[in-house]
Amino acid sequence: MVRVKSRYLLCEINVTERKYLLQLDDRAVAAAVREAVGRIHGDYGEALCNIRFSVKYLNAHTGIVFLRFSKRFYKLLWSALPFLTCVKTRGQTIPCFLKCLHVGGTIQTCQKFLIKYNTQQLHRMLPNCKNEEEKEHVRKAIMNCSQAWGRKKDDDDEVRSEEDEEE
Amino acid sequence: MSVFMDLNVPFTDNHELLQQLIQTAAHLGYSTVAINYMFEPSAKNKQVPVPADISQLIGPLPLVQGRSRPIRVLHRLTVVVSDPAHFVTRANAEEYRPFNLLAVQLTSEKLFHTACLQYDVDIISIPGTEKLPFFFKRAAINGAADRGVVFEVSYAAALRDSTRRRYTITNALSLMESCRGRGVILCSAAEQALELRGPYDVITLGVLFGLCDADSKDCVSSSCRSVLLHAETRRTANGIVSTRRREGAGPLGEAVSAKRAKVI
Repeated sequence: MVRVKSRYLLCEINVTERKYLLQLDDRAVAAAVREAVGRIHGDYGEALCNIRFSVKYLNAHTGIVFLRFSKRFYKLLWSALPFLTCVKTRGQTIPCFLKCLHVGGTIQTCQKFLIKYNTQQLHRMLPNCKNEEEKEHVRKAIMNCSQAWGRKKDDDDEVRSEEDEEE
Repeated sequence: MSVFMDLNVPFTDNHELLQQLIQTAAHLGYSTVAINYMFEPSAKNKQVPVPADISQLIGPLPLVQGRSRPIRVLHRLTVVVSDPAHFVTRANAEEYRPFNLLAVQLTSEKLFHTACLQYDVDIISIPGTEKLPFFFKRAAINGAADRGVVFEVSYAAALRDSTRRRYTITNALSLMESCRGRGVILCSAAEQALELRGPYDVITLGVLFGLCDADSKDCVSSSCRSVLLHAETRRTANGIVSTRRREGAGPLGEAVSAKRAKVI
């Protein structure tokens, strides 16, 4: 039995200001990726982009995106991603760039990586907190993550949403 | 996870911008950055720039993503040579000593040949903003590879507009044709924080520049490390004897006396 394989790219959208992040939507990101691929690889690239390409998940609070590519062409399409410089949404352009964190064969491995990554971000945030209240907030979030390791994996989603509020 | 380095972040007078650049680099996971000072001897300003003190410039250094150490910031000088008289060839010249890395950018084929075979530098920079007026010769490139001098391709110009993108890719591909992917480093030369890219994105970018996967990973990690080691041997006596100025010692002449002692 042979099944169709894909690659999931876990990317982080980096912007200069946080307010831009909340204006993103998945259709705009997909259009921006298509445009970047079209600019670098021409019609051939755009044609490959139509095969099984989609934005599976977008978190506007943390700027995390899952991109799905067909496994055969993902390297070619990925090589165009550094040339993405802005996303056009609702009549305005948001300057940003994508940073690839992880490449996975399934969404599940990407999700596991994301939880680990977000925990790490929380740990990095802790020394930068300004007041005691914030600190307590971050500590609680970290505790939640470490508890989640023992639990079943469908609980993970819930924990991640808690972390998102934090960031 | 290997150590990634970005050996070209241009120096600007705008401290806030520089701080932003270094913070973004740390966030992306680069463990070392080199701040690049451009120096054109043909211009009016004949003075070699003096590196600024980093700790005063941007305060406490940010932690690197994925590890607990703060980012390491080095100084690098790029001399744009259009005439042989512009570059002081003798090693350990006093004006180059404060810099960790020394790079040259060449404008003619003859200079390129002598730079590859004779100049005492670490990096030969290939510009991405203009068409190169000469072809790369195998002999010169092989000579540079044997001496441990590396070539640098920077990608930030390619992100700006399509003409410069074409020049960058042309220059990079013609370089890769002769050096077969060895002794090349990929740097950002980013003027804004948004022009930096993550290390894994740079690795795939290397594939566009005609490198194979393993080579393009070396471009951001192990080749950069070997450049730093090469620079260390250039600044010290063969990497064995190093000199350091003592607190409260005289300002000059320390390095010279140490060198003499080693010969005897």
